[in-house]
Amino acid sequence: MISIKLWVYVLRRILILIPTLIGLTLLVFVLVHIQGNNLILAEYINPRLTGQARELEIQRLTQEFHLDQPVYVQYFYWLGQVLTGNLGYTNTPIYSGPVTTAITLFLPNTVVLSLFAALLIWLIGIPLGVFSAVNRDSPADQGIRVFSFTLYSMPIYLIAIALILLLGVYLNVLPFSGEVSPQMVAGLSWFRDGISYPTHVLLIDAILHGDYAVAWNAFLHLIMPSLTLALAVMAGIIRILRASMLEVLEQDYIRLARVKGVPERVVNNLHARRNAMLPVVTSFGYTVAGLLGGVVVVESVFDFPGIGYWTTQALLNNDIGGIMASTLLFGIVLVLTTLILDLVYAVVDPRIRY
Amino acid sequence: MEERTEEGKYSNLILSLKVFFSNRTAVAGMVIFLAYVVDAFIMQFDPRLLGVTNPNQFTYNFVNPVPQPPSSQYPLGTTYPGINLLQAILEAIRVDLGYSMLIVVGGAVIGAVVGILAAYVGGYLDELLMRFTDIFFSIPYLVLAIAVGFALGRSFTSMVIALIIVWWPIYARYTRSLTLSIKESVFVEAAKAAGASMVRIMFKHILPNTLPPVVVQISLDLGSVVGVFATLAFIGFIPNANTPELGYLASLGLNYVQSAPWTVIFPGLAITLFALSVNLMGDGLRDVIDPRRRS
Repeated sequence: MISIKLWVYVLRRILILIPTLIGLTLLVFVLVHIQGNNLILAEYINPRLTGQARELEIQRLTQEFHLDQPVYVQYFYWLGQVLTGNLGYTNTPIYSGPVTTAITLFLPNTVVLSLFAALLIWLIGIPLGVFSAVNRDSPADQGIRVFSFTLYSMPIYLIAIALILLLGVYLNVLPFSGEVSPQMVAGLSWFRDGISYPTHVLLIDAILHGDYAVAWNAFLHLIMPSLTLALAVMAGIIRILRASMLEVLEQDYIRLARVKGVPERVVNNLHARRNAMLPVVTSFGYTVAGLLGGVVVVESVFDFPGIGYWTTQALLNNDIGGIMASTLLFGIVLVLTTLILDLVYAVVDPRIRY
Repeated sequence: MEERTEEGKYSNLILSLKVFFSNRTAVAGMVIFLAYVVDAFIMQFDPRLLGVTNPNQFTYNFVNPVPQPPSSQYPLGTTYPGINLLQAILEAIRVDLGYSMLIVVGGAVIGAVVGILAAYVGGYLDELLMRFTDIFFSIPYLVLAIAVGFALGRSFTSMVIALIIVWWPIYARYTRSLTLSIKESVFVEAAKAAGASMVRIMFKHILPNTLPPVVVQISLDLGSVVGVFATLAFIGFIPNANTPELGYLASLGLNYVQSAPWTVIFPGLAITLFALSVNLMGDGLRDVIDPRRRS
């Protein structure tokens, strides 16, 4: 039975979202207008236009974007456009056209990459943290601590380079550029101009078309980017989990469980781990923020066509439309994920509601 | 009476130093950190000591641009286009260290003022300021830094401003939580009873007491800031093509990673070692100020 108190919390949490979203859009808007209208004009005017034609174009754009109005009026015009789904245009070497189309092309790839990374964190990071605490001060624990501490100190691009050197160059077992080997997709009917159809995620599309060799190749291309992302985020999680696990293992109920003869494996995995996970879950917001930020670097190091790769391409090509749209998109994704996590957490742990 | 408190302070300091210096990894971290600081100062004031003539830019050698392996002439080898890696790393440390320091301290100062104001005044101001920090937490920090830096134009100044904008909310939240507990303590009560003004209480009584944990946080953050700064440079956020910066230096060698791995390994090691050393030092400092962790 969900209590009234929970509903009040949910309502309060959603209401707080409104000022955050207004602030988020205002922040992005201020960024666009910090240099006056120059950035907007530079994005939309064909540089080859000169003289009279250029003046006319400036006039047309001033009309279209209401550049002659006061800034706060412009904000509402801009917000209106954003709310109706018009995010402007982007112009980068990997894609130029409406921002909304760019998002449908790149976002699915990023989602798949992040999910793979999350899976790896769950499969590797959490067992390592538990193992490290259970075997406190053993050589394995020392090793895991040095490993996570070093990872924690490495910028994410270095983790990527280290993996490329280790798995890509020396062992030569995994590909480390792009989403698929070009010769695999040459001449395929559902793959045109570097874009796969219908979902735009090569791995899924290949499975849908029953082309398992391509799917396997796409899967291999996914491993290194997602492993990089996972390792970067994992470093913090292992440290938090080890500390909280050590604390939980000292509790009376763990001692009681041992005394009454519960096998060590069950004590660690059932009694201790579940409770030790609480701080990890609390810090999940930061994990998501880390994943989203890491995506930008990882995708551009591995030339992986997702939102992050598009963002860096926009940065390098002075594409204001791309930068602003991706900032807004990352912001909304992060805000909504944190909201969902908070709500789930409130349902799971009644103490969190206040 | 006064003498005794002086002595008390003194013995407290001795105890703190003892705790810090008994932690061998923390001391090692501090030694490495100091080596980086010394290098930065030499580059700033007398680069000739290390055989560098102009620490503000890379020295190119277009005659032999292809990366050369480490040799007696180039102890760490060279990277494209003919840059002496050892010299370039020594130059770049000054840039990375200096700007990162500026970012963390700038963020800490702004964050501390906002955090103390929010917690001490409380009420609507607290709610307003905290919702304001929420906005900055709602964008992944790397994306926010890219967007701000982009809007301000590509320069070190805009990178610094962008990262201060990213970092101050963390300190605002931290000092707010510290202030919330400090403001309930007896000495604040006493200051209030003695008629001290609000501003005086905030900055004369509360601020100094938030300092030790904030300084520890600064030393822990320095490692992350250096990483983010280098990451921005690595993905192409660099004012001009011959700026000595560790992330950018690594990106120069990226095309040669298969044939000449030292071009990315050494700049990478330089930055990892720095981040490791400040993290170790920060952990040691945290043990000093938090008696519960002294065991």
